[in-house]
Parts: sequence; structure tokens; C-alpha cells
Amino acid sequence: MSGVMLRQVVKAYGPIVVIPELDLSIAEGEFVVIVGPSGCGKSTTLRMIAGLETVSGGSIFIADKDVTYAPPKARDIAMVFQSYALYPHMNVAGNMSFALRLAGTPKAEIEERVRRAADMLELTPYLDRKPKDLSGGQRQRVAMGRSIVRDAYCFLFDEPLSNLDAKLRATMRTELALLHKRLERTMVYVTHDQIEAMTMADRIVIMDKGIIQQVGTPREVYTAPENLFVAGFIGSPSMNLLQGEIADQAGDLRVRGAGFDLPIPQRMKTRATGARSRDVVVGLRPEHFSASDSGDGDLAPIRLEVDVAEYIGSSQFLAAMVGEEHVTASVDVGPDAAPLASGDYFFDADRLYLFDRASGQAL
Amino acid sequence: MSNGRLDSASKVWMHYGGLIILAAICLMPIWVMISTSLKNEVLIFDGTPVWFFFFPTMENYEYILTRGKFDRYLTNSIIVATLSTFLTLFLGGLCAYALARTEFRGRRFVANATLLVRMVPPAVLAVPAFAMVATFSLNNDLAVLTFFYTALNLPFAIWLLFGFYKQIPVELEEAAIVDGASPLQVFFRVLLPLMKSGYAVAGIFAFRIAWNEFILALLLTGRKTRTLPVGAAGFITDTGVEWGRIMAMGTLIVIPPLLFTFFAARQIIAGMTAGAVKG
Repeated sequence: MSGVMLRQVVKAYGPIVVIPELDLSIAEGEFVVIVGPSGCGKSTTLRMIAGLETVSGGSIFIADKDVTYAPPKARDIAMVFQSYALYPHMNVAGNMSFALRLAGTPKAEIEERVRRAADMLELTPYLDRKPKDLSGGQRQRVAMGRSIVRDAYCFLFDEPLSNLDAKLRATMRTELALLHKRLERTMVYVTHDQIEAMTMADRIVIMDKGIIQQVGTPREVYTAPENLFVAGFIGSPSMNLLQGEIADQAGDLRVRGAGFDLPIPQRMKTRATGARSRDVVVGLRPEHFSASDSGDGDLAPIRLEVDVAEYIGSSQFLAAMVGEEHVTASVDVGPDAAPLASGDYFFDADRLYLFDRASGQAL
Repeated sequence: MSNGRLDSASKVWMHYGGLIILAAICLMPIWVMISTSLKNEVLIFDGTPVWFFFFPTMENYEYILTRGKFDRYLTNSIIVATLSTFLTLFLGGLCAYALARTEFRGRRFVANATLLVRMVPPAVLAVPAFAMVATFSLNNDLAVLTFFYTALNLPFAIWLLFGFYKQIPVELEEAAIVDGASPLQVFFRVLLPLMKSGYAVAGIFAFRIAWNEFILALLLTGRKTRTLPVGAAGFITDTGVEWGRIMAMGTLIVIPPLLFTFFAARQIIAGMTAGAVKG
């Protein structure tokens, strides 16, 4: 299979193992986002693919070629850095054409390719400017232009949007997704922002402590997190995780804890039966709380002691207590509702998650 | 309102007045040097010093340019100063780059210790330097002087260039590597253009010190290897000090470093790295 393949890749700095053993296959033309908290090894992984970091073990294949020990320039990759890393002494055209000039590409072709990339990124009026005369968003686009001009097999992005303000970030996200559609190239994108991961990725790789926690489409990692880490990481605001216990009440499986008693959905029954009277962690996503019993779904009552209700427009964020534990709930009550107070709310029990408390794995 | 304007006007006057006084203090010795070089001996030793209005003579210049060994001293000085400046920048640059980019035990100590070496005045080194050189009978060799000046200038150059290299983000080099640049291309096409100002500053300092240094040059050179400052001191004789000729020589000595500084200062463009990385 072509694309990018990491096979049993290990990275250690002396005695400190950063990435114990990593296997990952990225299909050709796929947009994969590696996401995780800082220090999880995602950037290191990307830099190993780029060849900027040596591997301590295992092998890396790009387009079926073993590039484990190949220098970056032999890997047919282009990379966009978090800080853009534009050459300050070159103008925009110079920045974009640098790689081609090094490769000895004919002048006419360089001009043509720079022109095309500049058109695509709306940078044509700025070709003569130096990076310092550009805005953050423009610099970002130059950095992308630099990779596009290369027409590399694989594009690597190292948190390219983290220096932009929120609005620009949203715009660039769309542009990046469009770019991927147009270029149809393999793209590996590293970020700590799960929103970026969810919106752009074909597949998401969630990493923690150098270990891949789960690989899947955005829908898969949201709807079926394989362990507590993924459950807590994906979703915004993040999932509430409460201590509970599975109880069999006359054939009716329920999960109970301090302040709640929820039915276990049909799809989990068989697995939950095996875990009867075991300690579990219950995952409740904030967005699956509601204020009233609308009838659809499998709504179960749950009592919330509301500390603060934050108005954010059509819904309200509640910082509340269930029993002894803090939870967040995002309740859709429309923009005109009064601040919500403590009381009986409902949770869509069909969407609750159960994890084994000891192993952290999903049941 | 008019009061405020008056205030700002007098502020400007005070500002420029202060600057003029400072400039005068700086320029006076230079003027004394130039004017003395244009006077004959009688005028120099005249009881009432003449500052501006006198009949200039070129006889001092004529003497040192035709009858002295000026051309030889000049050649020696140029060789020693340019060579040691080049060596300082080359070696200091490599060292600074290594200090800025690699991690090794005691890196910080080395970086700071270089500056400590700089604190030693050259005069302290004169005697041991002479003893060393005499042991190996290497006096009267321009290479030795070049070597000492390089050694003398290296700590400051390393320390200065270290700071400049630290300002260049590693990612720029990585971007160039990903773009397909070889290590030499990274250095010459990305780093060096950004380091221009750093090298220019270090170069100006190194050249100036090597050009003007007197004590080591006096001890380590002979008849054939004398540099300009030592040559100028040659006019201090048993029979008296030939001020006119010393000053004429001094005036000529100033010119090359002045040209060098103007050339080097053109490379200093502040804020070259601004915009490389969003900051």
C-alpha cells in the first residue's frame, strides 16, 4: 500500500523513550490529523516522517519507499511549520520558489508554478513583499504556497494555525480542506486542537504519552471512543466522567452512582452484562443533556445542582454538580430562556458511555 | 499654548546643544591630530596654539610617504588586520553556531567563559606572549601576530555571534532542509544573509582592534614586520618627538578602518529577522 507507513517506529532520547512503538498507515491522498495534548509525541512523529528527527527503531515508508534513513529532501515531502519559518530576506516569490531554485528547475517553469500557487492562495499582489510586510494570515498562506509549489507527494503540517486568531483560523481551516480536495495529496496534520482535527480530517489519530490511543474517522472517535483518554479529549466541552457501578435490577441493567441512576442502552447490554457489579466510569457528553423531555431518544431524568449558568446564545453552559462531582452540561433552551437553575434535567441515555475503571477501556 | 511651544523649542535647543558639545569633545582630538599633521615644527611648538587659521604644509605627509617605510608598514597592517579579522569571523562563526545549536554538557559555561577571557587586558598577555614566541624564535613573523590578534578577538566575536545565531529560529534551517538544501546551502543561502549584520559588527570590532593594537605588535615584530602603530611610534626618538610626522601617520592610519567600517556598516540592517517567525 502506498501512502505513508510507520512500522514499529521508536523514538528515544537516551534512556527516555518518547515513543515506545508506533504503527500507523496513512493511505495515499488521505488527510490524517494527529491530535493530542502537548508532549504526547505528535510533533516528534511528524518530524520523524519529515526526516528532521532520526528514528531509534522501526521503519518509515513513503510511497512504498523505505525512507527511514533518507534525508528530508529525498522523501518527497513538503512541510508547513507552526512559526511559518519564512525566509525573512526573500520576498514572497523568493520564498515560494526557493526549493525549485535549489533543485535547478528551469526559470520559466518556476515562474509558472509560483504564479499558479499564488493565484490559488490569492497572494499574487504580494509576490514582491517581504514576510515582515505581511499579515499573519498572509504569512500562513505563503508558508502553504511554499509547499504547494513543490508539488510534493506528502504534505506535513505542524500546528500551522495555532498562531492565528480564532476567526482567521476558521477561514484557514476551510481553505486547507479545499486545498486538500484540489491537490489530492497525502496530508499529515498535527494539532492539539480537537476542533481542527474533527473538521478537517479524513481520519484522526489520537495520541497520548507517545502511544496511539485510537485511529478513526471523526465520527468514530466521537461516537465510539475506545478509552477514557479519547472520550475526555474529543468533544467540546469535554465529556463528563463519573464513577459508577453496573447494577442488575430484575433483568434491567442500570448504571448507578452518587446522584444518578441511568438505564444502560440496548446496544451495550451484552457487554455490560459481563461487567455486572464491576466499577465503571460513566461518560456523559455535555451536549446530550436537555431541560425537557422532548420524547425522542431514551431520555432519563437526572438531577443537576447548578452553580453557574453561562449564556452563550441559543444554549446555556451549566457548571453543575451531580452528587459530589462536577459536571458540565450544554443545554439547548433557545436564546430567550431565563438562566437555568437547579432541578431535574434529562440525559439521552442512549448516548452514554461506559468504561472499565481499572483499565480505562470502553466496555 | 504658546508657553508649551516655547518649552518644546527650548527643549530642542538643549537637545542639540548637548549633542554639539558631545560631538565637539569627540572630534577635538581628531582635529588636533589633523591640524598638527598639517603644521611645520615651528608652528607646532608655537607658544600660542593656532586652531584653525594657519598655512597648511604637506611636508609631514611628504616625508612619511617618501622617506619612511610607510608602504611596508601599511602592507603589514593590512595583511595582519584583514587576515585576523577573516579568521576571527570564520572560526568565531563556527564556534558560535555550534554553541547556539548543539546541546552538550557545559555549553552555557563555555558560552559565558568566552566573554570572561575577553576581560583580560592585552597588556597582561604581552610578556607571556613574548616569552612563548621567543622560545620558538617566531618573532618577526606576521603569522604570529595574526594568530595573536585572532585569539584576542575570538572571545568577543563568539559571544556576539552566539547572540545573533540564537535569534535565528531553528525552524528556518529545518524549512531549508525540507526544501532540499544541503548543509552548505543552508548556511550560505539562509543563515549567512540573516547573519550579515552580526558578522559586520563582529568584523568592525575585530578589524579595529587588530589595526590599532600596539603593545603586542611592538613586542612581536621586527624591522620588516612592523605594523603602522609601531611605525608611528618610531618617530619618538632620542632627540625628540616628531609630532607632525606622528600626527600625519595617525591621520593616514585612521583612513582604512574608516573605509572598512563604512563598508561593513552597510551590511547592518536592523530587524533583518523580523517577520521570519510570528512573534
